[in-house]
Amino acid sequence: MGISVASYGLQYGCFIIEAGLILYLARSNQLKTRPTPLLYLLSLLVAALMRAFVLHEYGLASRQYFYVYWSTDFLLVISAFLLVCFFFRRACRHEEKMWRFVRLLLVFIFVLILGISGLVFSRNYKDLFPYFVFEFNENLYFTCLVLNTLLYLLLQQIDSADDQLGLLVCGVGIQFAGPAATLALVHLTTAERFAQALNSFAIPLCTLGMLLVWAYAIVRVPDTASEVARPKVPVLAEATADLNV
Amino acid sequence: MKNLVLTFLLALLVVLTCVSIRRMVCGTSAGQKPALVAIGGDPVPPVPPPKK
Repeated sequence: MGISVASYGLQYGCFIIEAGLILYLARSNQLKTRPTPLLYLLSLLVAALMRAFVLHEYGLASRQYFYVYWSTDFLLVISAFLLVCFFFRRACRHEEKMWRFVRLLLVFIFVLILGISGLVFSRNYKDLFPYFVFEFNENLYFTCLVLNTLLYLLLQQIDSADDQLGLLVCGVGIQFAGPAATLALVHLTTAERFAQALNSFAIPLCTLGMLLVWAYAIVRVPDTASEVARPKVPVLAEATADLNV
Repeated sequence: MKNLVLTFLLALLVVLTCVSIRRMVCGTSAGQKPALVAIGGDPVPPVPPPKK
């Protein structure tokens, strides 16, 4: 009883924050300049509402829920990948040469994920939809996790002054790394019951954590991406020039 | 051309890293039941039996 109440509370909390953030982004000027976070939030809300409706109408074991669940999951991972690409673009705003390299890298990664996921066709060609979608969604999920970590390292490396982007990247990290770490714990631990309960709470908690970090970043932290440019002179050269004076 | 090949190799390295992490975390190696990880906290539906 208590667990289901907490679970519903988490679910409704996520709905409210998602809807609030979408409204805030739609009303502010960030809609035209920052469409991808809005697209991701919309995907999260639409997927959650569709799943809740179909689950209520048809039940967990129904084919309808199965197809809706994996179709919306496909939508979510594609949105997440686009979101990470957008974050890379924003991080490389003043580094055109780096952005050309990163863009090509992201294209190659997407094509390779499609190819590797397509290997499942060789094992099973009767049920293409579920097996390909399982493979593709999970591979792209972990790709987003790795790319987001690389992006965080890149932000540290280029000494980015865009605080809002840093927080948005951290939020995505919470959502992707949290469930993966919990799932790894489930595999490692022998206390299966405790681990399963932890796993059922971890994913909604991580989503809630991401939404709270995003809410803080979007509402409280000023968007300085278009104003702040990385200094043309490297920091080390600047410091040595000061010493020479 | 050299840059293109190097970028492709880097992309391959990233993708193989991701697939390896996925296999470690989800346990999809031979003989193990896959544990699904997905975005969103909704209950994961059971996999229907394959068509005969």
